[in-house]
Amino acid sequence: MRLHVVKRDHCPLWKKACLYLLAVLSALVLGGILLLAMGVDPLAYYSRMFTMGMVGNKIAYKSMENYLKVFVPLAVTSVALSLAFKMRFWNIGGEGQFIVGAIAAATVAFQAGPVLPQGVTLVLMCLAAMVCAGVYGSIAAVLKVKFGTNETLMTLMLNYVALYFLTFLGETKADWNFYLDETSVRPIFANFGKTVSFPAFPIGKFGLNLCVILTFVLGVLVFVYLKYTKQGYEIAVVGDSAGTAHYAGMKVNTIVLRTVFLSACLIGLAAAFKVGTAGILSTAITDDVGWTGIIVAWLAQMNTAVIFLVSALIGMLRYGSTVAAATFSQVDSSFANMLQGAILFLVLAADFFIRFQIVPVKKGGKANGNG
Amino acid sequence: MAQQPNAIEMRGITKTFGSVVANQDVNLTLRQGEILALLGENGSGKTTLMNMLSGIYKPDAGEILVEGKAVSIDSPQDAKRLGIGMVHQHFKLVDVFSAADNIWMGKEKAGFRLKKDRYEEIRSMAQKFGFDLDPEKKVRNMAVSEKQTLEIIKVLYYGAKVIILDEPTAVLTVQEIQKLFGVLRRMKEEGHSIIIITHKLNEVMDISDRVAILRKGEYITTVDTASTNEQQLTEYMVGRKIDLNIQRPVVEKKRPLLEIRDLTIRNDEGAVAIDHVSFYIRGGEILGVAGIAGCGQKELCEAIAGLRPIQSGLMIHKGDNIVGLPPKAILEKGISMSFIPEDRLGMGLAPSLSITDNMILKNYASAKGPFVDRKGGREDALRVIQELEVVTPSTETPVRRLSGGNVQKVLLGREIKAGPNVIVTAYPVRGLDINSSYAIYHILNQQKQDGVGILFVGEDLDVMMALCDKIMVLCHGKVMGVVHAHKTTKEELGLMMTGALDLSNKYEDKPAGYAKDTNISAQELEQLQRQREEKGEEE
Repeated sequence: MRLHVVKRDHCPLWKKACLYLLAVLSALVLGGILLLAMGVDPLAYYSRMFTMGMVGNKIAYKSMENYLKVFVPLAVTSVALSLAFKMRFWNIGGEGQFIVGAIAAATVAFQAGPVLPQGVTLVLMCLAAMVCAGVYGSIAAVLKVKFGTNETLMTLMLNYVALYFLTFLGETKADWNFYLDETSVRPIFANFGKTVSFPAFPIGKFGLNLCVILTFVLGVLVFVYLKYTKQGYEIAVVGDSAGTAHYAGMKVNTIVLRTVFLSACLIGLAAAFKVGTAGILSTAITDDVGWTGIIVAWLAQMNTAVIFLVSALIGMLRYGSTVAAATFSQVDSSFANMLQGAILFLVLAADFFIRFQIVPVKKGGKANGNG
Repeated sequence: MAQQPNAIEMRGITKTFGSVVANQDVNLTLRQGEILALLGENGSGKTTLMNMLSGIYKPDAGEILVEGKAVSIDSPQDAKRLGIGMVHQHFKLVDVFSAADNIWMGKEKAGFRLKKDRYEEIRSMAQKFGFDLDPEKKVRNMAVSEKQTLEIIKVLYYGAKVIILDEPTAVLTVQEIQKLFGVLRRMKEEGHSIIIITHKLNEVMDISDRVAILRKGEYITTVDTASTNEQQLTEYMVGRKIDLNIQRPVVEKKRPLLEIRDLTIRNDEGAVAIDHVSFYIRGGEILGVAGIAGCGQKELCEAIAGLRPIQSGLMIHKGDNIVGLPPKAILEKGISMSFIPEDRLGMGLAPSLSITDNMILKNYASAKGPFVDRKGGREDALRVIQELEVVTPSTETPVRRLSGGNVQKVLLGREIKAGPNVIVTAYPVRGLDINSSYAIYHILNQQKQDGVGILFVGEDLDVMMALCDKIMVLCHGKVMGVVHAHKTTKEELGLMMTGALDLSNKYEDKPAGYAKDTNISAQELEQLQRQREEKGEEE
């Protein structure tokens, strides 16, 4: 029996959901086999990972707070990237824009933190991070609009410019360098967490950070922006067909610049959230959200609501693996990266089955020849 | 001949794409040394059926016999080995390669090194078949008809006995079509069997020996060309009687709506695309624009819509100069432009967006506040779907899921609903079947009767001669003359299109393309004169 691939024209929602779920499960099975090979009980590891060590733990609320610290920057960055992606502008410079935003926020925190009230400082931090990251992201957009350069290459290279600038700040002991800890002889970043930090609202012992609330508000705003506003409509048209947008009298260049600025702005905001809760800079400040965000946005197919769901899942993997690493010392927390990759590939495979189906070739046909 | 096995026999072929049945139990027989026309409307499965012969698709069911032997064609290489060659509607050529290299590319035992003698080999082969081809010429420098010749030579080079041509005449002028038919007849005499896909009936009658008809994926019948006529073929094709006459209602003439005077436009490469062109459109009139593809039609349309800057000249709409106005302002004056490009979706529509979203494309900005008005868009979509009989599951269906005719109805429907007074439309029936085409002509005629001035850029001369009031012929950006559609002939238009005949100075009492009752003010003419003088000084 021969098989061949045939296009499906409709796939019911339940089938889609099942296929995606199957993909995630297969990825976990794959990881499980690897864990077995390392002599670790997969079930024990996974239960530790997915509960993030909260079960049977007296300070479970702490785990939740820490998990949300991973979730917030990832969700905001993914949502921000989806804005640009929806316009088919391949902004893979999330890392760089995040770093620029983080430096800007830290600058405000160091300079204004000791003099201004905390609330004002926090607002200024967010604004500074948004503007700086926005401008930094716009560089690639301006070059694309003016000279037709490839935004993928430009944003990629700008990532390294930002990263090495941050490294330079972190390793240069000098009088002007207020980012470093003055008391230390070795160059290490100074902590400003005592002067400026995003407030948390206590719910019992658990502290609900302001950033978490803002993240959800932002999600709703972006959803509405993309779906119901004129600007969101323009993004959809430009992304679908720039020629058509031009014919309809849209100012395509303006729309590209505006959207990329906005996308980078929000990534800056994610950085401000991160810096404002961590209270310190670090060369690992991004936690790879610029990269992971791309995966999240794609897995969610640019759907804002689904982005939150996927961010929650990926955040769980990332944070859970660090927790589990404390118990299972032979499994490094980068195990999460492997799982994340496996999930991505298998979800893509599921996508194939959503779009196509495999059927056997039928033999022969009725013989009613026409002469 | 009867003893010889058939060149091709397809039995009970079925092919489905998802739930869409492209071919249902189709039978087709191609005899040795005949020209078989495969006739059918768009979406009737002609191309799908042929793609199964050329190894691009595989049938879900049924069998194919080549010279009496059952075969399985799994790839284009298999088809090549069996002596089946196909010239696709969209040429499969590498632009930056020479003609010879495009042919060599597919050779299986070509060796590692490119040898110089390949040019000679291909040149002599082309001469043997009686083609005129420069093997060293790059494809990107070729005219459409040259590319087609190259495709045919490519097929012959690989020893094809059966040649399939998918709508070969769509891109050719009248003279080029005659030349192609000459080539086909010669190939037939040499023993080749030919299948030609087309939906132009006069061509079917002209070239074919037999006609096979498909309708909605199903095989209808095969008839001898000699014993049939256009009316009967149409009935087979459409499934019911249809009136093949295009109406040309007579409408009282109004003052010129849009006047173009001495317009010069450059194309994207900076070459002159439209060269000192003057014409005018009155309300209640359809002015056709004929010309070989790429003669400045696109640039002209874009300039009128404000999408392309002009070099010099005047564009006067109801007495107002529209030169330099942004596209939106021109839209608001009631000038609508729709251009159907070759891929049919590239301009004017956003294919992944819904019909509703496409409806609001040109007026979304006029809604109050920051939000788009989808409710109004949905109402417009419903109205267009009803009035123009668009076949769609709902108003929220992405446009790319609709069939060609429905896509174009949506586009034209949107343009008309805005209530324009000038419609510039380029290739509105491009690739449409008879039914949909007539629906579009009907829409245009209704607009004309409502007093709208229409500029109709078209390809099919028969249609233009029947539909338009006057036809302007362009050749390399220059006007070759404006003729009355009911007085001209296809041959005359063809000669003008190639530049062999220039009727632009036929009437000596007034310059060509100037309206007697012009709306252009003396001041504007003065300005134009000054422009000319400045240019004169430069030169």
